[in-house]
Amino acid sequence: MNQTLVSYLSQYEFYDVLLAVFGKNEGLLAFTIYLLAALAIVGLCATIGGLGTYAERKISADLQQRMGPNRVGPYGLLQFLADGVKMMTKEDIMPFTADKFLFYLAPMLALIGVFATLAVLPWSSGFMMADLNVGVFYLIAISSLVGVSVFLGGYASNSKWSMLGGMRGASQIISYEIPVTISILAITLLSGGMSFGTILSHQQGTPVNWFIFHNPFAFVAFFVYAIGALAETNRAPFDLPEAESELVSGYHTEYTGMRFGFFALAEYIEVFVVCGVGAALFLGGGNLPFNLDIDIIPLQFAQVVIFMTKALLLYYVVIWVRWTLPRLRVDQLMSICWKYLTPIAIVNLMGCAIWLVVFNGKSMADLIFGSH
Amino acid sequence: MMSLVSYLIISLILFIVGLVVMIARKNIIAILLGIELILNAAALNFVAYSRYVTNNLDGHVFSLFIIVIAAAESAIGLAIVIRFFQIKETIHVDEATQLRN
Amino acid sequence: MFVQLLFALSALLTVGCAIAVAVTKNIMHSCIFLLGSLLGIAGLYATLGADFVAVTQIMVYVGGVVILMLFAVMLTGGKDFVSRAQNLLGLAPAMGNKWTYAIGLLVGLVVLLTNVKLIMNISKAYPAKVFGNDFPSTVNQIGHLLIKEHVLAFELSSVLLLGALVGAAIIARPRKQG
Repeated sequence: MNQTLVSYLSQYEFYDVLLAVFGKNEGLLAFTIYLLAALAIVGLCATIGGLGTYAERKISADLQQRMGPNRVGPYGLLQFLADGVKMMTKEDIMPFTADKFLFYLAPMLALIGVFATLAVLPWSSGFMMADLNVGVFYLIAISSLVGVSVFLGGYASNSKWSMLGGMRGASQIISYEIPVTISILAITLLSGGMSFGTILSHQQGTPVNWFIFHNPFAFVAFFVYAIGALAETNRAPFDLPEAESELVSGYHTEYTGMRFGFFALAEYIEVFVVCGVGAALFLGGGNLPFNLDIDIIPLQFAQVVIFMTKALLLYYVVIWVRWTLPRLRVDQLMSICWKYLTPIAIVNLMGCAIWLVVFNGKSMADLIFGSH
Repeated sequence: MMSLVSYLIISLILFIVGLVVMIARKNIIAILLGIELILNAAALNFVAYSRYVTNNLDGHVFSLFIIVIAAAESAIGLAIVIRFFQIKETIHVDEATQLRN
Repeated sequence: MFVQLLFALSALLTVGCAIAVAVTKNIMHSCIFLLGSLLGIAGLYATLGADFVAVTQIMVYVGGVVILMLFAVMLTGGKDFVSRAQNLLGLAPAMGNKWTYAIGLLVGLVVLLTNVKLIMNISKAYPAKVFGNDFPSTVNQIGHLLIKEHVLAFELSSVLLLGALVGAAIIARPRKQG
């Protein structure tokens, strides 16, 4: 049975009050709740995406001993708003030979693919838009729209740089999908379900119950997932599709103004989503470190804070990696994926399955501290 | 509105359109697109019947196999198209007249 | 209500994009319309309570087949492909002359009438059933079916996929001429 935000809220008394306000019209109430939640999440994620650009500059400046943006607002915090205004007021240029339909479509597809993943992102055990019972699978599936959009953006611009960037991007994304998916499959195996609710409920309590510490294979699977996710979101050191030094800026070379903004926003939000999924699957998500048998709204907000903290810490690592490691070559990229990550991921999957059989589903912590 | 018949009509339209694409277009890739449409029409029928008639999930399993076969078929088909293009430098289906060179 | 809305939108997307696949001359656009049509079919699966099939559909087609087709279009010259056949009223890239179309129309009429008859029977036998808004999870049952009743087909499909993988790699590998 799919749990949703509405079915979660309906266990509280104020839901009945709201229902009375809406004249017993459950459909309308559900629609309103979803609408508000969607607006809140999209607004939050757009802010995170915007602040991501700021964080990226500030952290890179820190790593390179520069100041970074510090003019707009306190500590330059409002820099992303200034950038947004700049992008919106820029002239919208379309190359003469561009394929107009696809040129318009590509940035939209990128945004659709990223925003659709937000529907299942587990902010807390109750605050999920929808806890689909195919949640993780849905997330992997719908985010591959970004791959299509990268390819189309490259193709539609009708320029050599864009074309190369688009082809590189699409091949990179569909290649790295395989180790990422197999790593996630290992976690699905451990939790016995694909819904985020099931996965989170298996990681309650102290950090030793997190899936990353469940067994050695899951520990390796986390790093396979992290590397693959970096590559899937086209982040350095895997940012070959937009390698400045060889491809100008890859598939969005010809994009200006808000269309470029869409691509950039989609990329930053996707990084956040990927970090959030990593936090939820391997690092316990929003679970509190202690078990309370009561379920009240303030605890849910505490869970949201914990989840955001974990996700943003991973986000920091992503930016850190970007400004530390040099870019790979194309052949190195493909050989890492096919010769190393994919076999390792498959071995991890088999290892997790064997672990489950041999130790009867117990985690390392259970074995060491005794099962409770 | 949502009855078995409406799904069957959608599937029928998909099938006919797929057939038209396969017959009318001369581009080998377009023919593969038509095959995908036809396979999807069949898979949709299976799921619809399993919901409205049999009430078990065998139809779902069958459409999963159809999806698997469609993926394998399109991979092989596109590999053949690319090889064909390397030899003939066109993907017009009427150029495929030789069994061996 | 939501389900009806989803059904209407998905049906519209499916049929509209499928027709657009047929009438668009640009093969690249055809591929994108196919993508829309396949997403619509995934929506239809969702209205039928087939969550796993719906997501598999998105996964395989969006993440795999459509990107593969876009690649193939690009590697074989893209939209520069020129159709040499006659057009029907300039609507669709098509082949044949008036006799072909006449015979096609006749056959289409026969098929249509047969189908209308069939559908009338079906609509009498299975009147519209109203399902609640609760869709039980199908994942568990599909898993059990796959490794119990349908285990032979399951294993065979893995062999098929391996064969397709190796075969595609061998066929598309560039070889020296002569």
